[in-house]
Amino acid sequence: MVGFIILAVLSFASAVGVVVARTPVHSALSLIGNVVTLAVFYLLLNAEFMAAAQVIVYAGAIMVLFLFVVTLLTAGKEERERPESLAGQRALSGVLAVAAGVLLAGIAVRDSAGPLVTRFSAGYGSLSAMGRVLWGPDFDYLAVVALMLLTAALAVLVLNRRAEDPRPAAAKEDAS
Amino acid sequence: MMHFLEPEIVATVGILATLVAAMLVRPRSTVPYWFGLVFSAAALVRALTLHQSTHLYGGVVLGDSYSIVVTVFTLLAVMAGLLLAWDPERYGAEFPALMQLAGVGAMVMGFAGNLILLFLGLELLSLPLYVLAASRRTPLGGEAGLKYLLIGAFSSGILLFGAALLYGATGSMTFVNFTAVHVVPGLMAAGLGLLLVGLLYKLAIMPFHMWVPDVYEGSPTPVTAFMAFGTKVGAAAALLRVLAFGFSLSAAWWGLMLGYLAVLTMIAGNMVALPQRDLKRLLAWSGVGNAGYVLVGIASHNVVGAQAALFYLLPYGLAILLAFTVVRILEGREEAPVTLASLKGLAYRQPWLAVGFLVAMLSLAGIPLTAGFIGKFYLVRGAIAADQWGVAVGLVVATIVGLAVYFRPVQQMFAPGEGATGRFTVGTGIVLAVAALGTLFIGIYPEPVLHAVIQSARFTWLH
Repeated sequence: MVGFIILAVLSFASAVGVVVARTPVHSALSLIGNVVTLAVFYLLLNAEFMAAAQVIVYAGAIMVLFLFVVTLLTAGKEERERPESLAGQRALSGVLAVAAGVLLAGIAVRDSAGPLVTRFSAGYGSLSAMGRVLWGPDFDYLAVVALMLLTAALAVLVLNRRAEDPRPAAAKEDAS
Repeated sequence: MMHFLEPEIVATVGILATLVAAMLVRPRSTVPYWFGLVFSAAALVRALTLHQSTHLYGGVVLGDSYSIVVTVFTLLAVMAGLLLAWDPERYGAEFPALMQLAGVGAMVMGFAGNLILLFLGLELLSLPLYVLAASRRTPLGGEAGLKYLLIGAFSSGILLFGAALLYGATGSMTFVNFTAVHVVPGLMAAGLGLLLVGLLYKLAIMPFHMWVPDVYEGSPTPVTAFMAFGTKVGAAAALLRVLAFGFSLSAAWWGLMLGYLAVLTMIAGNMVALPQRDLKRLLAWSGVGNAGYVLVGIASHNVVGAQAALFYLLPYGLAILLAFTVVRILEGREEAPVTLASLKGLAYRQPWLAVGFLVAMLSLAGIPLTAGFIGKFYLVRGAIAADQWGVAVGLVVATIVGLAVYFRPVQQMFAPGEGATGRFTVGTGIVLAVAALGTLFIGIYPEPVLHAVIQSARFTWLH
């Protein structure tokens, strides 16, 4: 329980850091902290493979990519935010967010009915057990996630296309 | 056993075939569009010939006549979107594949029987639409894409939080297992509330509708047409399924809440549509109002209401497709904004286009002999059967406001003046004809369609 609380505090603090940090590099570093604490959570939940994948894929590959992009694009540039059009918007939304969080936390504390009993198969969380689930009863999830990755690949193609708004008119003249 | 998912499998194979075709042919070819259209039509035919129902993976995948109706509606929206966008030079070779992907997402939401599949379907529906919304290289297009992405991601987060709380309260992800736990105090109520917020965002119900006008205005019109029909079908179908399968015992609690939201959305949506000048924004607000009508059926928590909500999606979808087709024809290749002023004199310049637009407006307003009237009639019946008289009165008030909303464009159409003139293409002509004839057919002889839909939503509340 103590370990859980320490981890929860760390995870929460790093998540807040992602949003609050002024420079993008600090945000990215906080995100790494958050990813690693989540990996430890997975370990505590007996999901060893998930924990390893989380560290390797997110903290290892994706965050390094993030950091590269951040350093290449915005390093050193201090962006000034424009003044907000709605006065007091940020303070009000902050108060409301904290109130919603307190409400939900209160409900969670009041209604905590003790540990939840769920049925785990033997070797739960290991690579082979996960493979057996993904290619067996949970195959539908796998298929939909595959389609989502396909969408992401297509999205790169579409969004990366150069701006061609002034072009059609010129192209038509060339053709005629 | 997989028999029942054949329409979805055909549609998925269609996506891959479309991509391979786009790779093999030259960049400006219409071949990928043909592939998308033919495979969607094949999936539609397969869906219409399916009969028996199965529950796969222990109630995770619910293949029944309800999911077939959702699949059919979605495929209609996909095909309409493809036909409206039949211009490879303008929309690119990836457009058909993305449109089909979004369609498969809506179909997944139709047969989802647990929270994981519901979330995955929602994301698969939304991701391609984020991309398509941003595909117009104008400031408005960028704004549409970014707004949709940020607000969509935010609402997905809320939905996931709700799903986590529900899992924490029940120890199960499957809808039917939720009925075992009492909702009203505590975790279940919080989980259900957050889940509803996530879904109502997608359906564009009133406090969660802010993104709709900007996104609809900034997206390319074929994408907007799909969003107005396909997204609402997916979100409404999933909402109805979650509430009917998982929370039928606590219906009084959420029925009341959704009833208030429905009345607010219907009346305020139509009120705000009233002063709009841009036709796309007017239709966007009308879409918000119509989502409120759909919610009336869901809020009434009885079989009549559920059937009415599912059925109303079709008249609304056909009418909004029709209206966006007219926008698409009038805006031309340059996608110039279509305002009410550009409708001036349309009835004299292009009478057929004007007839199509007139049918759309009459159906959205709910005039008898159009499909919209039948849909609203059943919604009122559902609300009355649930003893929700306030909601029924709200629907009538909203319809009266709606009359004024839809009368203004029609009046402009007959007013003298020089507005825009559009050119029909084969694709837009087909959508215009099919949607207009469908609207009139359902309005005059609703029996066959109504019967099929009513049969498919009959399982509701029997659990």
